[in-house]
Amino acid sequence: MAARTNNPTKKPADRALIITRVFDAPRERLFNAWIDPKQMARWWGPHGFTNPVCELDARPGGAIRIHMRGPDGTVYPMTGVYQEIREPERLVFTNAALDEQGKPLFEVLNTVTFTEQSGKTTLTLQARVIKKTAEAAPYLAGMEAGWTQSLERLESHLANV
Amino acid sequence: MFNQMVNHTMSPDRLNVTFAALADPTRRAILARLASGEASVTELAEPFQMSMPAISKHLKVLQRAGLIARGREAQWRPCRLEAGPLQDVADWVERYRRFWDESFDRLDEYLQELQRKEKNHGRKNK
Repeated sequence: MAARTNNPTKKPADRALIITRVFDAPRERLFNAWIDPKQMARWWGPHGFTNPVCELDARPGGAIRIHMRGPDGTVYPMTGVYQEIREPERLVFTNAALDEQGKPLFEVLNTVTFTEQSGKTTLTLQARVIKKTAEAAPYLAGMEAGWTQSLERLESHLANV
Repeated sequence: MFNQMVNHTMSPDRLNVTFAALADPTRRAILARLASGEASVTELAEPFQMSMPAISKHLKVLQRAGLIARGREAQWRPCRLEAGPLQDVADWVERYRRFWDESFDRLDEYLQELQRKEKNHGRKNK
């Protein structure tokens, strides 16, 4: 793989993970399913999971608190913060991965966009890791984590090793 | 929830260090170069307008993150890619993707259910 970049100092594209899905629903309805806790609790998490706690304070700076319960009864707490809410087209929020003691490990910034065409809505989720934790080595201070296509290329390269 | 996504893998701190090491475009370019084979520091420095000490600094960060290893040959200690941590990052990304994929399946089912209900009730929610 020839992933040598011509301009290595160029700002990274900040792309980590991008998922796109088309839903057969108008975007207002889809958007509501993201900010209404009753609705969110119905679908958040992998198959077989429930959300006994689902609190969403849907405004910039508002908190997200979800306890996800797996099929084996294990509860996975998650916290996050809404950064931007532009109904019905854009939603930005952070969420934290927590360790067994509930301490945040690192933070993921999720940007969700909704575009509607003939009654169908395309949802695009873009996620990137933004924050180290206090536990991270001191030399990481001030660094913003994120990774780009070149990493994706590396990954696909590794998959073929 | 995402603790589920990390506790099957290496220590989260190390994952964190890996993410931080990958945050820099020069370091990613170095890794990309090493993906095609071993290289000396001089070779690695070539495409960049950077001093050797600056490149060495980047290499140290990569080395500490376990992303590269350096040979013992005194003259040109070649750098090579260490796949482990990158694989962990890839694993984490994969789990995160799966989380959303399955959530979106459920969201889709939920929306379909809403639509069925709406039809049954004469579209009174519209």
